Amino acid sequence: MRHGLKFDGVAVAGIGMVRFGMYKDIPYRHLARDAGLAALHDAGMTLADVDEAFVGYIQPAPMLGIMAMKELGLTGLPVTHIENASATGLVAFREAAWAVSSGRADVAMALCFDKFTDMTRTGGRGAGRDVIDAPILPAAYFALWAQRRMHDRGTTPEIFATIAAKNWNYGAACPFAHRQPDHVVTAEEVLASRMVAEPLTAMMCCPADDGAACIVVAREDLVRSRRPDRPLVRALASALTSETYSPGHTFVGPVVGPATMTRDTAIECYETAGLGPEDVSVAYCHDAFVNEELEYYELLGFCAEGEGEKLVVEGETGPGGRIPFNTDGGLIARGHPGGPTGTAMLHEAVLQLRGEAEGRQVEGARVALAHLVGGGSIATVNLLGVEGVGS
Amino acid sequence: MARVPIEQGFFRIPDDPADPPRLLGSRCPSCGEAFFPRRLVCARCLHEGTEDIELSTKGTIHTWTYCLVPMFGKKDADVAGYGVAQVDLPEGPRVQSILFGEPDDFAIGTEVEIDLETLRQNKDGDDVVIYRFRPAHAGAAAGPGTAP
Repeated sequence: MRHGLKFDGVAVAGIGMVRFGMYKDIPYRHLARDAGLAALHDAGMTLADVDEAFVGYIQPAPMLGIMAMKELGLTGLPVTHIENASATGLVAFREAAWAVSSGRADVAMALCFDKFTDMTRTGGRGAGRDVIDAPILPAAYFALWAQRRMHDRGTTPEIFATIAAKNWNYGAACPFAHRQPDHVVTAEEVLASRMVAEPLTAMMCCPADDGAACIVVAREDLVRSRRPDRPLVRALASALTSETYSPGHTFVGPVVGPATMTRDTAIECYETAGLGPEDVSVAYCHDAFVNEELEYYELLGFCAEGEGEKLVVEGETGPGGRIPFNTDGGLIARGHPGGPTGTAMLHEAVLQLRGEAEGRQVEGARVALAHLVGGGSIATVNLLGVEGVGS
Repeated sequence: MARVPIEQGFFRIPDDPADPPRLLGSRCPSCGEAFFPRRLVCARCLHEGTEDIELSTKGTIHTWTYCLVPMFGKKDADVAGYGVAQVDLPEGPRVQSILFGEPDDFAIGTEVEIDLETLRQNKDGDDVVIYRFRPAHAGAAAGPGTAP
């Protein structure tokens, strides 16, 4: 029987990342090394302390994960490659946390990286209009959702632009964000940017990125003894689903499954953790295209269906709001290299739970939610919390 | 000069160029669910073994967009933009496809019909074709590459 994973006695030991951006001249393995070392330093550990590693990336070839791990050292630890499209980073974390929770490892790491500037193989995507299963850009795919929402609920492009502007402005406050605008971005500016796929403008879409991000998890007592100086952050629970068949499933072309997959996956994660959306202080979601974020407000349970627009208008998902979303700028501003997107999300979530997110700190943050969807129909929802939550 | 599909097994090209192509689907003999493209195992009831069917040539737009960025690279730099839709066919399957026509031609619920676009010639001089949909109403815009 399928159920979510509830992690027992698992804490975050360390986090590290390379700011996302375009690093044409830096090899992927150096990006991965720098993120891995940053996480180990943050944990007060070396690779000798790590019992198992999960490496995640989407492009472009086999074996890169084990090669990247060698940059950190050759200690004989088991290394497993994880690939789940855009959800890769969170799934690598899930496996690392489960390795510790199940008792097979005291310390496990999830190290993820990707290089869009180095993409030599398209995997069938973007190969041209003349392949049977790839005639539709990701932007167009999500624009199809946006158009349907506008039709069904009367959502306006101004709502989408307001969310995008919020994420751009969060990016300005986050030193790890690719896009750090030097001025306050307005909804008008977002709407005036180049149209990509109706109704999505360029500033409503994530950039292409290079980058790497790593999270080390360990038995709680080890984390306490290595870093007694700071608040403990626990890995609480994780849910991962692929699609359940429903009429209207499209088998040919890009697909991430129906938006409702997020709702089912979130319910599974909440039930596993014994928590609800009312317990969550800060949330991260797959805002590769901005209309997604609006859908996820509802599907992750932060408001009733059809009330996402109200949250936006009232500023409830921005600074000082009831449930701030994507405080590092999200995929739109922090960036979206693919594999490391999820581990970068956790990087920010952990900073928030430690109270170290300077300039964008959610006061009193106790529980963080991290959500991603991935191409081919994958959804994952993960919960982290400070000491005293969910136990 | 013959017309050949971009990939085998997805659609049938009629002998008469005036006839529409037919998408190749499957129907489950156990639960009746229909699929595009063809598959062996029913995705609804997991019955093994489906029947081959040809799907209707007309459907309705479930949702659509108009894509203005030539991100498919230099191959398509000459294309200013193109419509994209999910089309619901009467048998049940929802098909994602590029659309012939201009943004004003499309709306949710618009009836569309299937057609072929010639992408290029192969080394034998055959036309390599792929399916597209166009608005079904009279006078709808002709798409690129379809003029006889």
